[in-house]
Amino acid sequence: MKTDALQQPVGELRPEGAAGVERGRRRLWGTLTLVSMPVLLAMALVYAPEDANQGAAQRIFYIHVPSAWIGFLAFAVVFVGSIAFLATGKRRWDDIAASSAEIGVIFTTAVLVTGPLWGRPVWGVYWTWDPRLTSFLMLWLIYLSYIVLRGYVPEPIRRAKFAAVLGIVGFLDVPIVYLSARWWRSEHPTQFVVESGDLPMQMLITLLVGVATFTFFYLYLMAVRLRVGRLRARVEEAEVSR
Amino acid sequence: MSILAPALTIAGKDLRLEMKTRDVVASVGLFVLLVVVTASFAFPTGGEGREGIAAGVLWMAFLFAALLGMGRSMAIEKEDACLEGLLVSPAPREAVFLGKLLTNLGFTFAVELVILPLFVILLQLEPAGGALLLVLSAFLGTLGLVTVGTLFAAMAVNTRGREAILPLLVMPVSIPVMVAAVKVSEAGFAGTWTASTTSWLLLMVGYDALFLLVALATFQHVTEE
Amino acid sequence: MERRPSLGIRLNGVSKAFGAQLALASVDLEIPQGSYVAVMGANGAGKTTMLKVIAGLAAPTSGSVTIAGIEMRKAGPRLRAQVGFVSHETMLYADLTARENLRFHAKLFGLPRPREAAERAAERLDVAHALDKPVRALSRGTRQRVALARALIHDPSVILLDEPYTGLDEAAAASLSELLEELATPERIVMLTLHDVVRALSGPRRLLVLSGGRVALDQPVDGSTDEMAETYLGLLRAEARR
Repeated sequence: MKTDALQQPVGELRPEGAAGVERGRRRLWGTLTLVSMPVLLAMALVYAPEDANQGAAQRIFYIHVPSAWIGFLAFAVVFVGSIAFLATGKRRWDDIAASSAEIGVIFTTAVLVTGPLWGRPVWGVYWTWDPRLTSFLMLWLIYLSYIVLRGYVPEPIRRAKFAAVLGIVGFLDVPIVYLSARWWRSEHPTQFVVESGDLPMQMLITLLVGVATFTFFYLYLMAVRLRVGRLRARVEEAEVSR
Repeated sequence: MSILAPALTIAGKDLRLEMKTRDVVASVGLFVLLVVVTASFAFPTGGEGREGIAAGVLWMAFLFAALLGMGRSMAIEKEDACLEGLLVSPAPREAVFLGKLLTNLGFTFAVELVILPLFVILLQLEPAGGALLLVLSAFLGTLGLVTVGTLFAAMAVNTRGREAILPLLVMPVSIPVMVAAVKVSEAGFAGTWTASTTSWLLLMVGYDALFLLVALATFQHVTEE
Repeated sequence: MERRPSLGIRLNGVSKAFGAQLALASVDLEIPQGSYVAVMGANGAGKTTMLKVIAGLAAPTSGSVTIAGIEMRKAGPRLRAQVGFVSHETMLYADLTARENLRFHAKLFGLPRPREAAERAAERLDVAHALDKPVRALSRGTRQRVALARALIHDPSVILLDEPYTGLDEAAAASLSELLEELATPERIVMLTLHDVVRALSGPRRLLVLSGGRVALDQPVDGSTDEMAETYLGLLRAEARR
């Protein structure tokens, strides 16, 4: 048996009940997502009051902001996973980082799509070099370069190492990007400012529900993606031993 | 084992190699020259804000120079397993990184030294007192680019795409230092120095310091088989 | 000549995985000072990996490598100063002269008088005539000798050669064999990988056969015909077991 020589199982050896526990978790996140999505939609479309200035288009905020939050969270997970992998050498951390990156791209794309969808009716432009939006554009690009890099390294352990280094550098870069985008924008002010004033209670609650919903969704996608990763590793192993 | 001595040995070797072959200078130098000349046709010789455009084009040229140079420099090490030759030596991994960093810096500075005056002349700019800013921005901006680039180049040459994927890795991550460099160069071309200029300079210093540390810490993982 | 502490290479449970493949599977090996070892095995059996792990080029996935009781992982630079590594690639800069290459490596190894070291190494390997020619312009055989000079320039106590006989004609091979015999003194360790059984048994004093990342055979080479025949059969048996 090939894997018993290593301290870390490549894909095969796990405690007996592990698969069951994971299925249970997947189901939990999946169910929570399914339940909270319609609740969020209802709240976003009906419960939350209409914004006085921006009208109905403002409601996309309840998708836009939670997506942004999760997009950033996912990258933080990539960062932690990358450091943990380099420190411990355990492949599980690389799996977590890779999965989180792929899922993070989805949420970040959602941010970049909903941004213009919001911007156009409210401010008349598809894009503003708003520091947050700009930072998300950069984040999106860094995510993509991470995923592309992974595609270019066939050997799994080397791939994990390279990806980990990029994950660390990329994440540390994000606050710097944000800062530079803010300074740049303060020198080229446009009239389109995203107000972050006090939100009325109902809007805040809806927003929180949105964050919760998207978090459940993220956790569900992670659980699914990690399982796919494990299955893929088992196939790899099986092919090798043939 | 010290870090500086082997690093200087490696950089010295690269200098000697480059003087013999003029490999990198030839390909990169010509390309960048073309970029600059093309740019000088492309934009208005008068008018407001041309310092900004000039700074932008300048840094695109510098970016290309750096990327091509770093890619080529690492590709040379990949030939005949020369990089392995460096790694089996007693030189610590940090020294190997530093050595290649110095090589890449030296090369890029050499290109910039030629391009910058040419730019000023062709584009009819009058930096006057801004010369210091131009030098500072060139130095700090290039350092940031080359720090990240050297680290990623060591990765890139070990992938299927070889050094061709280097721009893909470097460009997103280097955006902040590029923006800062452009801003400071713009101020340099205009001969002004504001508080914001100082902020941009500090950002570059912070960026350079941070990523130099990260690169030194992670280089061994990149070169390990 | 400075006195060196007693050197011995030890592999403690060394495994090296490349993705799902184990190039080395929990190898325990002790190679005392004065050993002259031939390492054989099919391609992919782990021969090159074993040398790379000892040379510090590859880090074991688990287990440790020590030289003179010091772990490679902890004191890499110090240990690498005692190791000379020859692979099938020359590690020479094709556009520099042989002299420039040798001086460079001498400096890299911290030798006090690089110029003299380069000349001495070139003379020993009989390539002094080629010193001022660019490596690109040298014949293959001469290039290989310069590569050897590079590896030996710092007078290492551990000499590792990966398939050094491949591509050599009879005369060159005989010459190499002589050189290795000279180098294999009680103070040094010489380890080489090769495919030629006859060469493996005429010169080296110990034979290791790797199969599937494990040591399938580990025997002293004594010289009697029966002994050699049995060794050879052992080798074939080991291959058939894969």
